[in-house]
Amino acid sequence: MQKTRFPAVISTFIVCYIFWLLLTWPFGADGVAVQELVAGGVVSLAVALFSARFFIHEKSFWLFNPAKFFSLIAYAFGTFFSELIKANCDMAKRCYGGCKDVNPGIVKIPVDVESEYGQAMLANSITLTPGTITMDIAEEEGKTYYYVHWIDVKSTGEEAGEAIKGKLERGVRRVFR
Amino acid sequence: MILRIIIDVLMVIGLYFALAGTKGVLKMPDAFCRMQASTCISTLGMLCVMIGALLYAIFVMHSASTAVKVALVGVFIMVTNPIGSHAIAKGAYKAGIRPEKEMTVDEYGRDLNE
Repeated sequence: MQKTRFPAVISTFIVCYIFWLLLTWPFGADGVAVQELVAGGVVSLAVALFSARFFIHEKSFWLFNPAKFFSLIAYAFGTFFSELIKANCDMAKRCYGGCKDVNPGIVKIPVDVESEYGQAMLANSITLTPGTITMDIAEEEGKTYYYVHWIDVKSTGEEAGEAIKGKLERGVRRVFR
Repeated sequence: MILRIIIDVLMVIGLYFALAGTKGVLKMPDAFCRMQASTCISTLGMLCVMIGALLYAIFVMHSASTAVKVALVGVFIMVTNPIGSHAIAKGAYKAGIRPEKEMTVDEYGRDLNE
């Protein structure tokens, strides 16, 4: 287990505090603005102290770089969203077509993302796309592999990887290493 | 008026995908395929309804706090949902659930048995 590092605590604190501010949005509507802000700060600091070592293992201020943050936004609303709509239409067609048109299987695909956050984000993106679910991550000889349950298996290995996550991976690599 | 039409159309699109997911959950042949179908509900089905609700909160209710909360609900569902389905799929496989019809390729089972 990692030790608690100071930059990680700061970074976690900022994230927690932003979410607190958003949830209590019109602060001071009934004249308790200072109270709300201070309480949020205390709770965020406590949470950050306890959870920073689980939350951040690598560079603490990676996402506070504006270029990285905007490529994250562009990924979420551009690349990922268009893939989501395509996969959803495909899945809806299968469902309304009587659910007979399936060819399920579990394929193993190589992944070219190094950092923990990048791997988690890519795995979650694959799972959120209807038609593919990431089941496990394996590391063999320095390379990372995902086991993906795919509802319509057309190929295996590299080819399947390109079909499942080609665009998603290029988008993720712009945000995380 | 046009705004209300846009909001209603978004809600109907969301319901269309949610209905597709529900039909898939009821009719798909095995557990993993049923989970695949259920992803339809929680992605585009939920997102379209959320975008409709966001437009309603901004332009009809004129309430910034409601709009922010609706957006946050959408973000949290998108962040937490895949973790759950990943854990369920892996748990089901490890617990020995297999589809009745043999899978075309099963590289996970092959590597687990090695």
